[in-house]
Amino acid sequence: MRAVVSHRALLVVLFAVLAVLPVVANQYTLFVGNLLMLYMILALGLNLLVGFAGQLAFANAAMYGIGAYGAALLQVRLGLSYWLAAPCGAVLAMAIGTLLAFPALRLSGIYLALATLAFAQFTQWVLLHWNSVTFGAGGFPVPQPEFSALGMSPDRGIYYVSWVVTVVLLAFAWRVVRSRVGRAFVAMRDREMAAQALGVGLLRYKAMAFALSGFYAGTAGALYPAVLAYVSPEGFDLFQMVLHKAMIVVGGMGSIAGSVIGASLLVYLLEVLRQFKATQEIVFGALLLAFVLFQPRGLVDFLKRSVPGWSEPLHYASDSESAFDVAVADELVTGSRGGADR
Amino acid sequence: MLVLSYLLVTGITTGALYALVALGIVVVYKATEVVNLAHGELFMMGGFLAYTLHVMVKLPYVPSVLLAVAGSFAIGILTDRVAFRPLMKEGLVSVLLATIGISFILKGVARVLWGGKGDYLAFPPLVSPEPMRIGNVMIMSQQLVVLLAALAVMLVFAAFFKTTRAGKFMQATASNPKAAALVGIHVSRVYMYTFGVGAAVAGASAVLMAPLTLLYPDIGFPLFIKGFAAAVLGGLTSVPGAIIGGLLVGILEQLAAGFIGTAIQDVSAFIVIMFALIFLPTGILGMRGTRKI
Amino acid sequence: MKSFRFVLNLTVATLIGGLVAVGHAEDGVTKDEIKIGSFGPLAGPVYMYGKLAMNGLEALFDKVNQEGGIHGRKLKLVREDDACKPEGGIAAVKKLIYDDKVFAINGGGCSNSTLAARPEIVKAGIPFVVNSAVADGISSPPTPNIFTTQLTATIESRAQLKYALEQKAKKVALVAQHDAWGRSRYEPMMTALKEQSIKPVSDEEMTIDQNDGTAQALKLMQTGADAVLLIVYPKPAAVLIRDSLKLGYKPLWIGQTAIQDLPQLQEQVGIPGALEKFVSIATIPAHPDDPEMAEWRERIKKLFPNDALSVFNLMGIGSGMVVVEALKRAGADLTREKFLKAMGSIKNFKTGMYPGPITCKPPASNQCNQSVGWIKFGDGKPKSAGVTTLD
Repeated sequence: MRAVVSHRALLVVLFAVLAVLPVVANQYTLFVGNLLMLYMILALGLNLLVGFAGQLAFANAAMYGIGAYGAALLQVRLGLSYWLAAPCGAVLAMAIGTLLAFPALRLSGIYLALATLAFAQFTQWVLLHWNSVTFGAGGFPVPQPEFSALGMSPDRGIYYVSWVVTVVLLAFAWRVVRSRVGRAFVAMRDREMAAQALGVGLLRYKAMAFALSGFYAGTAGALYPAVLAYVSPEGFDLFQMVLHKAMIVVGGMGSIAGSVIGASLLVYLLEVLRQFKATQEIVFGALLLAFVLFQPRGLVDFLKRSVPGWSEPLHYASDSESAFDVAVADELVTGSRGGADR
Repeated sequence: MLVLSYLLVTGITTGALYALVALGIVVVYKATEVVNLAHGELFMMGGFLAYTLHVMVKLPYVPSVLLAVAGSFAIGILTDRVAFRPLMKEGLVSVLLATIGISFILKGVARVLWGGKGDYLAFPPLVSPEPMRIGNVMIMSQQLVVLLAALAVMLVFAAFFKTTRAGKFMQATASNPKAAALVGIHVSRVYMYTFGVGAAVAGASAVLMAPLTLLYPDIGFPLFIKGFAAAVLGGLTSVPGAIIGGLLVGILEQLAAGFIGTAIQDVSAFIVIMFALIFLPTGILGMRGTRKI
Repeated sequence: MKSFRFVLNLTVATLIGGLVAVGHAEDGVTKDEIKIGSFGPLAGPVYMYGKLAMNGLEALFDKVNQEGGIHGRKLKLVREDDACKPEGGIAAVKKLIYDDKVFAINGGGCSNSTLAARPEIVKAGIPFVVNSAVADGISSPPTPNIFTTQLTATIESRAQLKYALEQKAKKVALVAQHDAWGRSRYEPMMTALKEQSIKPVSDEEMTIDQNDGTAQALKLMQTGADAVLLIVYPKPAAVLIRDSLKLGYKPLWIGQTAIQDLPQLQEQVGIPGALEKFVSIATIPAHPDDPEMAEWRERIKKLFPNDALSVFNLMGIGSGMVVVEALKRAGADLTREKFLKAMGSIKNFKTGMYPGPITCKPPASNQCNQSVGWIKFGDGKPKSAGVTTLD
């Protein structure tokens, strides 16, 4: 069991550091720390969809936006309290996300990418033009939830809320990928036809993958207005999408720890890149390229090979693909025979 | 009626811009099954190279254009070397992300080199800047040049794929790289030239389109995304499809703007793409299925 | 374990960044240096309002430092990117205040990101002088530590409309970008129209990257609009004017401060004589190519060899001049309070970078620039068409 401890230890340390951050850090670092946790949630959700279930969708930033607008508008327009509006925002994103599973039944690869990209552009357009509801391109301020009862400032209070939500969603993602659902995702990604033949209902599992990822993005979105106190469409544009994709590729596709590591590294890099002022685009592009070139399977792959005891099961198609398929199929059959999660 | 004919003609002339971008995307996709997300930036670099040579260094038009096209070709080959060849085996997401990395680098370089010269740089047109009359419709002469160029490039490519050895190599490589290698085709060289040719097309079209689109570091992406939509509508693998897709996207935008409202112009292409992909996933002239087994 | 430590180091480094927070008398001021922060987009489609304005500011600081600084202190510019996004604006401002610990901020390129950052600026009480963003909500309701040397969207919209009415326009139409920038002007323009009880005959939309304006031109022409208020960037403006000319449609075009390099606009349209009936608002008294700007042309060339002096540089320089003046007036014993007081004392200050003098009137209004300069284009060069001063 020592093996399992290693990557968990890393995450425990990371979240322990995040937990004490408000005590020691200034407000800038606190804000970046809070954004970081939002990105971790986004990367986890996207990795479930792209890395595990193999659905190359480009709508994560749109789901993030739907969650944020849902949570913010319910407060501002209908006067709901944040604690009621936030879950509604997340569920709204999940519902819309689930609908994306239908095109995914017919499309894959670059075609699915474009269909979801078109959906994301359409979402942007709605946010920009549906003025009577969304306030249009100018955005709008949103009151932050109060934490005075706990003797905390709103910034610090919402930071701890994000921390708890992130930990819960991280643990949940972990459970999902180790369950029968997770195995079905991987099977569906690696050999869709074979998976179907083995009894993996494509509609059901694709819908599940899109719903899960929509819920994660929507939850991050629901935290957004509380963290920023302001919502406007440009926070959910294509650059956001690229950023989320970059996080899971840099961290490691098909790896839960990888999502967290990728998000941490990219947020950190983006802040460091502020030092490069005029040339930050070049440096960002070069780093992205370098990572993909020299570590195409992400940092977790590197960790797995170089850290003794790092044993997170990596769910990418390995070099000996057929062997992997057989293993997955075995696992699946056993899983379905047993009818239980493990 | 005059309004409708203007909308249609304008749709065709803007569609020609998208078609030229789509052609480059299709040529690369046809051989490699990859979409180069930096294609728009290759276009932008081609335009700025021509601007530097023609407007700043004051070289004559033709040598400037030739050098700009050669420069774009070189950047295309570099893209293959850096982002495609090493990543082919890693899958689509890695290649896409690598080309995104390249697009950021190119944009950043352009901003450092040319970004401080003004907001939108004008490039002199090949023909008179005055509009001309065709029937009862006035159009910009340069728009006609772009349209003719798009058709010419299409014909050249169609002939190239049908009649030349190199073209057949490309198609063979695309349909089955392993078999192509077995019969002695140097597959990676084919890929390299494909990227080069795709970029050269982008560079050449940039010179023709720049008088209409103006030059600025961020011009690439919005054109790319419309060109990509056009390419998908045309089936991603079909050269005539790219032209038809481009014209369709152009006409669609104009009709939407003219009859529904100008607010919907920019997004209309995406709404159609969304539904077209769901209900017509192979595109108009596409030959491949949506799902590879 | 090497990489384990690597990731750990990242977090620890971030942590330590927060720990180095030892307070002293006034942030950003030492015996021989004053740190001034700036934020705005350094990249992306509107980088001009951030990067180029900051380049101008840097050229100004370079000049001030060459001349010995202010009360013996050299000026140092700290740039932060806000990527023109709300989270970027908040992060950039928090970094300037709590991490870089600058004395004051002179910047704000994008309306939305600056609006999002405003609560933090108000809370921290750091002096902030806006140089580019025009959204009304940034400087109003007035707060003691935020001043602006830029016109606001309301001022510009009212001026645009007033000009149309003065020219006896019967049918006024509107073409706008519905992005964040356009929206911050569109709403005040709608209010201004309502104030005059005018209903625009046509309300069209263009996007920043649009390559053809025929559909819009057709609509304008059909409604017979004789004056068109332009809430768009130079590219869509050029495209729209070009395609209107193609249709033989020549209304009075009324632009705003995003379009003030008219020789460049003429080149962008391409058709000779295209700007006969075009007028726009300038924040600057002369074109960057005019003789009176020679000094700044050289200074920009020296620091940024690839660049040519632009309107955006001048926006940064002008606003920076006001900050420099206030720093001088605040005296050798510099505090934020004294600086704000000095900003408030600026009356009739001539920078040579704005069409009129700069006057701040706190606490009623921290809108220090009230001069709308009109520009036209004729005989191949830009010409001033008068200055409207608001009260």
